[in-house]
Amino acid sequence: MNTINKNNSTHSQRKALIEECNPAIEVSNLQFSYTKESPPVIDIKAWQVSQGEHVFLSGPSGSGKSTLLNLLCGTLTPTQGDIALLAQPFSALSNRQRDKFRARNIGVVFQQFNLIPYLSVAQNINAAVYFANTNVGKTAADAKLRDLLDKLQLPSHVLHAKADALSIGQQQRVAIARALINDPQLLIVDEPTSALDTDARDSFMSLLKDVAGESTMIFVSHDKAMESYFDRHCSIKELSLSTNHIKTLGDNVPKAQERA
Amino acid sequence: MLSTIAIESLKRRKATAILTLLSITISISLLLCVDIIRSQVKTSFTRTVSGVDLIVGAPSGQLNLLLSSVFNIGTPTKGIEYKSIAALQSNKQVSWLIPLSLGDTHRGFRVVGTTNSFFDHFKYGDMQSLQLSDGATFTQPLSTVVGADIAESLGYEVGDKIIISHGLGSVSFNNHDDHPFTISGILDKTGTPVDKAVYVTLQGLEEAHTGPKHSPTSMLGRKSADKANEHDHDEHTEEHAAYNSEAFTPESVSVVMLGLKHRVTALQLQYQINQSKKEPLMAILPGMALAELWQIMGNVESLLLGLSGLIVICALIGLATMLLATMRERYQEIAVLRTIGAGPFTLLLLIQIEAMLLTIVSAALSLGLVAGLMSALKPWLSSTYGLFLSSPLFGQSSVTIILLILGCTYLVSLFPAVAAYKRGLHAGLNANS
Repeated sequence: MNTINKNNSTHSQRKALIEECNPAIEVSNLQFSYTKESPPVIDIKAWQVSQGEHVFLSGPSGSGKSTLLNLLCGTLTPTQGDIALLAQPFSALSNRQRDKFRARNIGVVFQQFNLIPYLSVAQNINAAVYFANTNVGKTAADAKLRDLLDKLQLPSHVLHAKADALSIGQQQRVAIARALINDPQLLIVDEPTSALDTDARDSFMSLLKDVAGESTMIFVSHDKAMESYFDRHCSIKELSLSTNHIKTLGDNVPKAQERA
Repeated sequence: MLSTIAIESLKRRKATAILTLLSITISISLLLCVDIIRSQVKTSFTRTVSGVDLIVGAPSGQLNLLLSSVFNIGTPTKGIEYKSIAALQSNKQVSWLIPLSLGDTHRGFRVVGTTNSFFDHFKYGDMQSLQLSDGATFTQPLSTVVGADIAESLGYEVGDKIIISHGLGSVSFNNHDDHPFTISGILDKTGTPVDKAVYVTLQGLEEAHTGPKHSPTSMLGRKSADKANEHDHDEHTEEHAAYNSEAFTPESVSVVMLGLKHRVTALQLQYQINQSKKEPLMAILPGMALAELWQIMGNVESLLLGLSGLIVICALIGLATMLLATMRERYQEIAVLRTIGAGPFTLLLLIQIEAMLLTIVSAALSLGLVAGLMSALKPWLSSTYGLFLSSPLFGQSSVTIILLILGCTYLVSLFPAVAAYKRGLHAGLNANS
């Protein structure tokens, strides 16, 4: 309940701020099919997410949530249509430019956390710094890493532990640290709470919201009970069906607020 | 960072990585061994004789003459009559002459009948003269000078008496028991077949076969005697004065080695000897004969080198197979690396770094292994095969081999690297979803 009240008190301020900002994600006429013959898995006429907005994307298994996230990450290429991220024509970028853009601007937390098991925690996180090639000095990167570990309540000794030696909870937090180490403007989170019980899930969400800060966040889950943590709820089914409906924060107020 | 990821990744796949490492190490070692043996044999080969301009024997073929006279291998040719030797000796182009009489053995080692001119004029390697480690050259008709290996393996010392046997078998029932030879000197190690030969006087050898014979004058001694005061073997000058081995006139000898006053006349004299009508003779140029022999052996050597090369290729294909086989379990991690910003070329590089790391470590291990192996086998190779390993063990060809292997590693690792490069990100990320 505390989280919900907190959300209520800050919602109007966030709404005002978010509405002033340019869209972080702009999707138009987006279609994606895995094969030429198969019907499109994703078919969205238009969709926008404002900068700093935290969007909850839900849908049943197999509805195309992960496919949409992969399209937003650039790990899949649209069959048709455009995706603009942070005012950049993301889907029109070359593979190389897209890799660079993703490394510098998008943080991804996977369902399975996808840490590289044979690397230590520090190596897993520093790999993201290395590939982003942001010319951040080692001292600054180390300071940022320690700051993130503090915020994520990870003891410093885990830095040298191999990723596969960590508990699930620790792996989750390391995955968040890796996603946030380069201060991404866009954070994409794919069902990281599916294996957690309610208490652990609430604790994780508080932590995530706290460290995500002003980053735009797309959070995917099939558990609709989590929409209360977000500025807006989008159903993947509705997105695909509502052919030319642009959804913004004002159109979809969290149910928790409506109830309040 | 890439090398850290590559090293950690290999450490994760410890078992397969170690097996691959072993397979590459063994194959590179094999290739290096073949290359070293080849180059060392070639060096050994070319150093067996130097400074001898012509070798003359009965017509039997260039290689047979070379093998029997220089390498003490094979059956000696029919003898050359004394009058022919005398004719060669009196030839104005001839500076010196070494008669060699072959056909006997001592406990499996070849016995060579010769004169002190052998010790004066025979040279090996880079025109190195024979040196005595102990004693002196022939001091009396039944003197013998033994090679370093014989003295070492049979424990001979100066003053010991030895019996020679008729024929070339390692076991002979026809021993010249009544003509024991006394060791007057032991030669320094040369790394040539000289180390495995027993040198006896022509006189002693002939007496062992036919009984005592007296020859007051000899053409063999003429030129050598003229030079007796010129050569630099001071240590046995006194023995020359006491016993002149060149003074003996043999009925015939197996082979004659000639040194010419001017090397340019070698071809001309070779032609003259080969055309001789008095007695059919054959003269060969040792350098050319060695080159022909090496050409024959070179084919075998090329075959061995080729086979070893194929073994290395197989090992490298094994490396590519190992990397390809592990790709399936790595697709997820590759997709993660791509998601956090590693481009396809970076992944290509990562897989190639892993392959290169394995090959570089294998090459380093192979160099150590081969160096250790050669060092351990050095005495055995020299005693059994007469192969003397000289430094440096690894030469230009070893460097070329390793560079070629690294080049091949780069090529074969392209297969798994391209597989990683092409692999869709999406498939990897959702592998476990």
